[in-house]
Amino acid sequence: MNVAYFPGCSLQGMASEYDKSTRLVCKHLGINLEEIEDWNCCGATAAHSLNHLLSVSLAARNLDLAKKMGLHLVTAPCAGCYGRLKAASYELKNNSEVAEKVSQIIGTSVPIEPEVKNLLQLLVESIGTPAIAEKVVHPLKGLKLAAYYGCLLTRPNQVTQFDDREMPVSMDLLLQALGAETVNWAHKTECCGGGYAASETDIVIDLGGQILESARAAGADAIVVACPMCQTNLDTRQKAIGAKRGIKYHLPIIYFTQLMGLAFGYTPRQLGFKRLLTEPFSLLKAQGLA
Amino acid sequence: MPELTKKPTEYYFKAVKLNQLDDSLQQEIKLKCGVDVETCMECGKCSGGCSNTHIFDITPRQMIKLIKMGREEPLLSMDSLWTCVSCQLCVDRCPSRIDIPRVMDYLREKACQQGIKPTREQVKLFNELMLGSIMKTGRVEESLLAVKFNLKTGNYFKDADLGRQMFFKGKLKAFGPRVKNLKKIRQIFNDTIQKEG
Repeated sequence: MNVAYFPGCSLQGMASEYDKSTRLVCKHLGINLEEIEDWNCCGATAAHSLNHLLSVSLAARNLDLAKKMGLHLVTAPCAGCYGRLKAASYELKNNSEVAEKVSQIIGTSVPIEPEVKNLLQLLVESIGTPAIAEKVVHPLKGLKLAAYYGCLLTRPNQVTQFDDREMPVSMDLLLQALGAETVNWAHKTECCGGGYAASETDIVIDLGGQILESARAAGADAIVVACPMCQTNLDTRQKAIGAKRGIKYHLPIIYFTQLMGLAFGYTPRQLGFKRLLTEPFSLLKAQGLA
Repeated sequence: MPELTKKPTEYYFKAVKLNQLDDSLQQEIKLKCGVDVETCMECGKCSGGCSNTHIFDITPRQMIKLIKMGREEPLLSMDSLWTCVSCQLCVDRCPSRIDIPRVMDYLREKACQQGIKPTREQVKLFNELMLGSIMKTGRVEESLLAVKFNLKTGNYFKDADLGRQMFFKGKLKAFGPRVKNLKKIRQIFNDTIQKEG
């Protein structure tokens, strides 16, 4: 199965462990990821905050490059990139006026058609949890995990057409297929504060704090994420959140692909576990996983 | 619950004369964004779900109401433009599917074009620096962006300790691969700035 791969800026910077584990896991499952040649930034929060047409055009160039590689399906592990690519793809399909303008700007013919799926969606829809369960050699027995989807994997549902928008289950089912237990909790799709990590840190401390507290209260040992912004906010601000709330948190924030890799028999070293700020090793060791 | 900094009455609007309604802003938003706020039934689910409504000066529902009333000036100077996290909860819960985040973006863009001073200049600055990085390299170089942001805001040591920890975790890389066809990226910026003003 050939899929156009859009790593995005974070995956070649702060979140390289997400990139590494994604490539390993996809290869293991027979998905051939072809990195989009000369891809550019999806535009992130900055572009859609200040210039709508720019945000659609930047995303559209990537879709067009994938189309030129002869690929019809694009996947992005970063929920932020996925959100921008998917929103652009939706607008190009449903707003002919914008599609016409954008095709002139990037110098291509309409339609710009590749389908966009987030990585979690690709794995559960195209491979499926039963096939994933068959590959498990080290079941993640004893781990109690909070599956955290964040805002953009499921929202807006009209655009994403993926899972339940308020109480999604796909990541829970995937983690259960790996042998782990998932907790029922209320903050699966709440926002972590997203792009305000540097510019309005208080927002991240407030919103991220609600998520950490909810996961802790539900009895989770760790939070599992599918987005570098969620990972960074919940991981790097965990100490500050603890200081603000007067509670000492120790919740490793782990990418779901890292846990898949672990269950498939790869080592924590190969999967970049040591790059996580809130150390995950005491938890993994206690369950005999590291 | 965060503490209220204002008296409860100050969170509501002063009385407005309803014979001064003006639908020009509503029409403009319909034309420019393809979003019809006429279908708002004021149920308030947008504000009920909103991630940051507890710190918004104008809530999503109030925003739609003000658009219907043609009151542009409070909308272009509201703090909510700079604290909205674009989490998409409002549009997702809206029974009429009104794309409020799109309207929020449109109002922010318009406020910037008119040179209205943002209530949180550092948020605008961060976004501009990010766009600068994309225009220059085609991608975002996170560590350089953070350093530039600190230099520009004068908070030289903001998150210095965190930066040190991240450096030792190998999370900060100064120069990642850039886009090769930078000419194309610059042309996209030029064309969209021309078209959108």
